[in-house]
Amino acid sequence: MVTITEKASEKIRELIAAEKREGLALRFGIGGRGPNGFTYVLRFVPLSERGAGDTAIDAGGFTVLVDAESATHLAGASVDYVETAQGGGFKIENPNPLWTDPRARAVQDVIDRDINPAVASHGGFVTLLDVRDDVAYIALGGGCQGCGMVDVTLKQGIEVRIREAVPGIREIVDSTDHAGGSNPYYRPSKGGQSPLA
Amino acid sequence: MTRYWSEGGGVVPARRPGRVLLLVTTQSYRAGAFVEAAQRLGAPQTVGSERPQALAGFNPDGHLTLDFSAPEVAVEVIRRFAARRPLAAILAADDEGVLTAALAARALGLAHHPPEAVATARDKYRMRRALAAAGIPTPRFHRFPLDADPLALAREVEFPCVLKPLGLAASRGVIRADDPEQFAAAFRRVAALLGRPEVARPGDELARHLLVESYLPGAEVAVEGLVTGGVPRVLAVFDKPDPLEGPFFEETIYVTPSRLPAAARAAVEGRAAAGVAALGLSDGPVHAELRHHAGEAHLLEIAPRSIGGLCSRALRFGEGRSLEEVILGAALGLESGGLERERAAAGVMMIPIPRAGTLAGVRGVEAARAVAGIEDVRITIPVGDELVPLPEGARYLGFIFARGGAPEQAEAALREAHRWLEFDIQPGPGAAPGVRADAGAERRW
Repeated sequence: MVTITEKASEKIRELIAAEKREGLALRFGIGGRGPNGFTYVLRFVPLSERGAGDTAIDAGGFTVLVDAESATHLAGASVDYVETAQGGGFKIENPNPLWTDPRARAVQDVIDRDINPAVASHGGFVTLLDVRDDVAYIALGGGCQGCGMVDVTLKQGIEVRIREAVPGIREIVDSTDHAGGSNPYYRPSKGGQSPLA
Repeated sequence: MTRYWSEGGGVVPARRPGRVLLLVTTQSYRAGAFVEAAQRLGAPQTVGSERPQALAGFNPDGHLTLDFSAPEVAVEVIRRFAARRPLAAILAADDEGVLTAALAARALGLAHHPPEAVATARDKYRMRRALAAAGIPTPRFHRFPLDADPLALAREVEFPCVLKPLGLAASRGVIRADDPEQFAAAFRRVAALLGRPEVARPGDELARHLLVESYLPGAEVAVEGLVTGGVPRVLAVFDKPDPLEGPFFEETIYVTPSRLPAAARAAVEGRAAAGVAALGLSDGPVHAELRHHAGEAHLLEIAPRSIGGLCSRALRFGEGRSLEEVILGAALGLESGGLERERAAAGVMMIPIPRAGTLAGVRGVEAARAVAGIEDVRITIPVGDELVPLPEGARYLGFIFARGGAPEQAEAALREAHRWLEFDIQPGPGAAPGVRADAGAERRW
């Protein structure tokens, strides 16, 4: 289901050896979805952490663990190791579509076609995280994070456009971790004075 | 019973509310709360702000671009819009838009504080004069031009005194001086602040003078109120348990209900109401600051808007309505539930900036959230941003919210939560390293 190229295998074996720990496996999975497509998890874990739903792949000298949820989105994917002028790195080719649910695909289309080109002019981007029942969960990034008008953009723009284009969607939920210290919500624009009491 | 319009299947009112125009700046902390409130009330809304909105093309009736520094021009834009989409209410969330809101409301015959009263309240010197003329105890005050010699002016003032810009909020530029040397230094510091183009536009009348007033020692409280048809109603009285003695006046904790004795609280409420009448504020929210001194409640300021920052989240009314729902409901003339605040105590801490620098990281947020009585912790300055403390700064690091029990418990919870927070502040402005890791289709080790 997942192909690890010879160059990638060689590099992974080298990295495992450098870890100087016995019984390590490579955990490979879908970490989420971003503006550039899927995001991936690649990390070493003890082989003993293999879960009941995990698929174990013998990659020649080490084991790759893929969780059940990720497996459905990684069928046919390949992991390669490439050298560039900036250094080496793993490159993942994944032929799977971001979404299989037709409503999620429709929402993604609206985001790609209508919303992101517009918010990009303000330095922001919107990522669809999931569609469950009739709720679309999104995250706001770039210039959207910290903008005082992000709620207006969400309620008066994103929500209006998605609900208009995808009638099955009832609600848009902003799931950005705005409260996290490294990912806060408000960044008042430059200029003017604070409205604080 | 509160009667809301709810498209989600909630209680439907006898009629759908009319359209509300919300004026907010793009730097506002208040946009989300007002937009959400309008949605909960079922009111169609248009947001007016000083910059075009990214997605305005998908909802042309939802946005207006308005220059708040040219209210007459903005009013014309609003009039033309209202001819196409009639407005039932106009409300400003921030100081910057409130005069435009008042002028536009008058032009359209909508209830709002009169523009004259708003203009008076926006100028601390004019406000002081109006309050003093009405016999309301306030600090003694003078207005001085910023191009005057501060050492010469120092001979005219009594010490200790407090220097204040006429038009800034959030204690920005407010400095106590105890002697002529401190006065001169503070004067020059305020003048430098008001000389910054991002603080005051060239020619801004409010940036040509500063106010100097006597320093009144004593505990400070804030009153949140709503005026309807000239009748003020107190929504909440907040204690400010941290002493505000200078040299700068960074506000931290607000707790309600006030622990003032009943008579003192009544005096505070009465004085705030007298201030509302003296300024001629008639329809809309008000936020007043008072200080107890020599057995009297002295009125420091009344702003013709609601409480700033995210502080309104500490307030709930009736069946759980937000402050913004109460304000919008009144502006739209909706039948409302009671204006009684919930029984439980509530508090908010505006997290102070401990020192200048660049925010490189925040630790302890989850531990702070886990403190009993804490509802939420919001860090509102992004990692990597410059931190500017008072008196020049205009932002807080974030907000902590507590609810439940007695006021003492809410205050203790806020202090305990704050103790858990650690801010990594690196010297000097600039990007903090290693705070974001974008993940794409290709990941390199």
